[in-house]
Amino acid sequence: MIFPEGASARTSPAAVAGRVYDVVIVGAGIAGAVIADRLSREGRSVLVLEAAPAEDLTIKGYEAYLTDFYAAASKDNQSPYPVIEPVPMPRSTDARPIRPGGPNTNGYLVQNGPHSTDTTYTRVLGGTTMHWEGKILRMLPQDFELAEQRGQGPKWPLGYADLEPFYREAEREIGVSADIEDQRYLGLTYPPNYVFPMRGLPPSYLDQMVARGVDGTRVELDGEEFSLKVRPFPQGRNGIPNPAYDAGRGFVPVGAVSTSQVDEGERCQGNNNCVPLCPVQAKYHAGKTLAKALDRNVDLLAQSVAYQVHTDPETGRVTQIEYRHYHDPNSAEYQTGFARGRTYVLATNAIENARLMLASGLQSRSDLVGRNLMDHAYLLTWALLPEIAGTMRGTNCTSGIVDLRGGRFRRDQASFSIDIHNDGWGWPTGAPVSDLVRIVDQNTYGFDLRRSLVDQVSRQLLFAHMIEVLAEPENRVTVDPRYRDRLGNMRPVISFRVPDYTMRGAAFARRLSRQLFERLGAQDHTSYDPSEYGYVEFEGEGYRILGGNHLAGTHIMGTSPGTSVVDDNQRSWEHENLYLVGGGSMPTIGTANTTVTATALCLRTARHLLHELRHQDQPVALATH
Amino acid sequence: MSLDDFVAFSSEVTGFTEFDLLGTGQAQSYRDTVAGVVGEQGLAELLSAYRREVTELSDEQLRAEQLTRSVLGDPRLGPLARNIIKLWYCGVWFGLPGHEDTFTASPQAYPQGLLWYAIGANPPGARAPGYGSWAGPPRIPALPASPIPRSLTRNPSAG
Ligand SMILES: Cc1cc2nc3c(=O)[nH]c(=O)nc-3n(C[C@H](O)[C@H](O)[C@H](O)COP(=O)(O)OP(=O)(O)OC[C@H]3O[C@@H](n4cnc5c(N)ncnc54)[C@H](O)[C@@H]3O)c2cc1C
Ligand code: SF4
Repeated sequence: MIFPEGASARTSPAAVAGRVYDVVIVGAGIAGAVIADRLSREGRSVLVLEAAPAEDLTIKGYEAYLTDFYAAASKDNQSPYPVIEPVPMPRSTDARPIRPGGPNTNGYLVQNGPHSTDTTYTRVLGGTTMHWEGKILRMLPQDFELAEQRGQGPKWPLGYADLEPFYREAEREIGVSADIEDQRYLGLTYPPNYVFPMRGLPPSYLDQMVARGVDGTRVELDGEEFSLKVRPFPQGRNGIPNPAYDAGRGFVPVGAVSTSQVDEGERCQGNNNCVPLCPVQAKYHAGKTLAKALDRNVDLLAQSVAYQVHTDPETGRVTQIEYRHYHDPNSAEYQTGFARGRTYVLATNAIENARLMLASGLQSRSDLVGRNLMDHAYLLTWALLPEIAGTMRGTNCTSGIVDLRGGRFRRDQASFSIDIHNDGWGWPTGAPVSDLVRIVDQNTYGFDLRRSLVDQVSRQLLFAHMIEVLAEPENRVTVDPRYRDRLGNMRPVISFRVPDYTMRGAAFARRLSRQLFERLGAQDHTSYDPSEYGYVEFEGEGYRILGGNHLAGTHIMGTSPGTSVVDDNQRSWEHENLYLVGGGSMPTIGTANTTVTATALCLRTARHLLHELRHQDQPVALATH
Repeated sequence: MSLDDFVAFSSEVTGFTEFDLLGTGQAQSYRDTVAGVVGEQGLAELLSAYRREVTELSDEQLRAEQLTRSVLGDPRLGPLARNIIKLWYCGVWFGLPGHEDTFTASPQAYPQGLLWYAIGANPPGARAPGYGSWAGPPRIPALPASPIPRSLTRNPSAG
């Protein structure tokens, strides 16, 4: 994939000031990129405003990320990305228990609590997909009908069938590797003969070992019986193209983004580093889509942080976006600029979209902007298997258990899916480096050290339970003029409490994992430290709930302005020419990592926008007789 | 103290041969890292204690006891010796009392970490093993024939 030379410097604040674009998009993540791509494909003029610098999208920039990552002593999940003053971002290492008496203002997110989250997103060109894991789960048909079927959550204005074609389009854009046979469960349907673009990635040796112990386990829940099975996950990373794709036309994987052509569509090599950075770009990132769009004269104005959305007080229509353009990433000096379009798309992710709207004084009449913040709740449980399982190899996660994603029990408690982590206990304990330090500090050295490492690392098993969280109005993003970043932007203030519905799911997940560990003959090593952030007590037991990085719900879609912020096209009810796009529009998140659903919604919005612009272009036809 | 002394000591405490260690290309950089933090003098003290107390013993059991007692168990030398092991295994120099800084020796240090090699894996993000490699059992490398560094055996060219 060629990154068009000079594309990131094609325009300037001065040039932008003199134009009215068909669409002004704020944010160059996957949401903004797919809309820019689809609109430019039809010849529409598009401006993308991006907060981060843009040189990074070359192989050279990418290699710098990698070097920074290698050099970082603490390899947290933002370690490859440069910290720049004008565009701060959350880091999981900023999370702290929240003490009574005030928020934690330590990191970029101001955390009001009571729950302290370590959720992150990445403000670089390409957005959080630079960093994501790339698990591509569609939501279940029943996830769109939770309100109707189980009396939980706000209603969706559309259903699985409406979104299905866009899921397929998103799967093509991302380049998904999966075998269709594995992905038919709990009502997930596809058109006849559909296959994913690439064959499924082989399950890890660890997955296979877990499957031998777990497959066929019976679980009863709310009077329904479930039989568990380890199943591979669809992945947004390059595998072997499926010749049957697209009615036999096949699929050409998209390779690394570069200023010159490099190997096409390099396959996943098992670096076990998908988060935070895939070294060979086998994993999809939005730069791949952006490069296509930029090749078609889309204007990208980087280093431009949207500061305020201006509207006409009479009509509610957006008149312009005010942004702060900085020249030097190491300084907070800026110049103010304005961008104008016929339509506007905010694609800065659920937290930032709400932040920008609220900072612009655009609280909707329904008072829903920023409310209903959702993010999957992760509960980790970990154990040592009786045999060497070869942990620490492969992608971060190849398989999991998805049978409890749906069922009648959802009237009372959250559904969840279970990831089997190929990187062992890395997430909760910092393995394997923490194991190394512990073992060496016991004065174990030489051959004993090598043996101990094999014994204590290669047998690690980690289940990450990704638990559903429902929309709760009190879980929200707000702004407060006391908390600003160096560029003067108000920072997001997060209030979040883990709902009881979710905790009932967590409690069940904890019990189930004890049972599964027992079946596997694995020794449970799970422990939750009350002094750490994320600790939650529920019905007498302690848990640690970690952030899911699946931000959603701050501008939910619905059927009326009183109960939602946007309609089924992600168009703001109150600002006719404004679209708030991405995970923020989702009224429920079920147990699917949010991106493929958000992308499908954005592709649907792109189609709507094309239609809308075409409609606006038409001269008004005078009625003649 | 020469690089050879540093590598011989490192070989015994890491459980890898001198050949393996030199193969990482990091020996000089690690030696300089250690000397940079604790000084040439500090490093020399450690290496001479090792030479004096351990290298002459050929009985493996005795050798192990002596290494544990006079090097790893020494309040001054122990932390330094353990840090050298950790450096070879993950490329990170961990802060010590008096030298609080924790840092990576160089960007190349991390991809060369022995930790992953020892368990038949690869450092995340580096030295990729190839598509599908994760589906089979791990190939855990065999231990060397003897824990005693080759350069220290009486007849280095034998066997
Ligand atoms: C560790 C991790 C693992 C993940 N794993 C998965 C997974 O396996 N599967 C999955 O589906 N999802 C996963 N996600 C979530 C996924 O990455 C996000 O859902 C997705 O990237 C969101 O895309 P977006 O375009 O909506 O927002 P983003 O990718 O966040 O992009 C927003 C863009 O807007 C820019 N921006 C922000 N503020 C401004 C401003 N004021 N002005 C101008 N520009 C601005 C940002 O710089 C960025 O480029 C993961 C996330 C993380 C952090
Ligand atoms: S395992 Fe690796 S090569 Fe594969 S997607 Fe992840 S980081 Fe990239």
